[in-house]
Amino acid sequence: MSGRIFVTGLGAVSALGLSAEDTWIAARDGVGGIEKVLFDPGVNGPEGHTTAVAMVKGDALGALEAALGRRVGNSLDSFSIYALKAAHEALAQAGLAGGEGLGTRAGAVFGHGFAGLHTLEAGFERFYGQKAARLHPLTVPKVMVSAPVSSIAMEFGVKGPVFGVTSACSSSGHAIAQGAMLLRAGMADVIIVGGSEAINTPGCLRAWEGIQAMTASTCRPFSAGRDGMAIGEGAAAMILETQAHAEKRGAAILAELTGAGMSSDAFHWTQPSLDGALSAMGAACEQAGLLEADQILISTHGTGTPLNDKNEALAIHTLFGERAMNHPVIATKSLHGHLIGASTALQGVIGLQALQHRLAPAIANYLGPDPDCDLNLVLGEARAIEADSLLLNAFAFGGLNTSLAFKRWG
Amino acid sequence: MASLEDELLDLVAEEALIDRAKLVREATLEDVGLDSVDVVSIVFAIEEKYGAEIAEDAFKNTLNLGEFVDTLKGLIEAKQA
Repeated sequence: MSGRIFVTGLGAVSALGLSAEDTWIAARDGVGGIEKVLFDPGVNGPEGHTTAVAMVKGDALGALEAALGRRVGNSLDSFSIYALKAAHEALAQAGLAGGEGLGTRAGAVFGHGFAGLHTLEAGFERFYGQKAARLHPLTVPKVMVSAPVSSIAMEFGVKGPVFGVTSACSSSGHAIAQGAMLLRAGMADVIIVGGSEAINTPGCLRAWEGIQAMTASTCRPFSAGRDGMAIGEGAAAMILETQAHAEKRGAAILAELTGAGMSSDAFHWTQPSLDGALSAMGAACEQAGLLEADQILISTHGTGTPLNDKNEALAIHTLFGERAMNHPVIATKSLHGHLIGASTALQGVIGLQALQHRLAPAIANYLGPDPDCDLNLVLGEARAIEADSLLLNAFAFGGLNTSLAFKRWG
Repeated sequence: MASLEDELLDLVAEEALIDRAKLVREATLEDVGLDSVDVVSIVFAIEEKYGAEIAEDAFKNTLNLGEFVDTLKGLIEAKQA
């Protein structure tokens, strides 16, 4: 990659907290957010069921309204509320919130695996269940996949390239890569990138259970006895800037985006592929000059499914060879659940803070070693690290992969 | 206990994010910033809360907030009768 891209702001909303810092502190201290929750589909649905999920705690809407200094009310679905809150936090940290708007040289690209399902499901329950002919007039603007970036654009006066991207669990990885490409292409000076997701609805969770990838207990990546993933919710945002723009305004730089690999397995809906994972990871590491690095912090896709974790472990060994065991491996989905389209951005926000603090958060819920996952796993409690770089993996259902590399600054 | 009119004006303020103090009977919908989507959102919330059925064209001749609220009250009271 040519033309340096800097990260100057971070924001997050997750089961671990309503800010990037709170999310980091909970991850560092191993305070996870996964719990069993009863989902009741109401009088027109089947009986309620309990499943392990990681819900956003606290009043995200209230926190957003306090941050913006105005009411938001019922105008946005949860996946936009989370995105807007994370974007505001990231812009504030970058020194770009407030003022007269960011203008035509600013953009926003967010990834989402799904759309505004809370709004859609409630509307369809009213339509099919209650037989009510009329749906809420804001149903379409609240549900559409581009609603979060439109809300960000309207709130902060972003008038350059603004769009949503989707690739299931890699969506925000692709969003970050797209943001970097727009900056390199000279189409913008600053881009708000990230992802958001809010799909913990009774109907959607039943759909996920159908795919046989959900845990019956909790998410335990790379562990013996792991049995699947737990769905999370929330959002995360980063501010990406060109070097010239960041330096001109004297921005405090947090990290540099040094590599972005993208690949497609072209293979299977739910089974991972070694070649696809290797292709994305290899491209990111080659661009970032990390193939021979002494130590890299690897934030794995690490979903806790039997197949993903085995494949990802093999990919790490195949790519790094005898150096593989040098690299501390983390899997923060064991704490915040799988945010699908928002996972990569959230793991980036946590991973960049881990580099800043030189401390890797431990994998939660680990029961014991699995010989198929023999990696330098960070277990027990947060571990001091020397790594200057973060490798951030995402391997989506449908075989869509991203791997991003970042380097700490200062 | 709040009157039905007060309840309706509270609901209008909440749905359309309008300062409650601006919602007086003499104000036009335009004066207080109610657009057509706001009106449908309010109608939707009232249908949910009171079970009333409100036709799409119920407000086509409405001149001000007083008439708007009176129309809603009539439909709700007819449902509850």
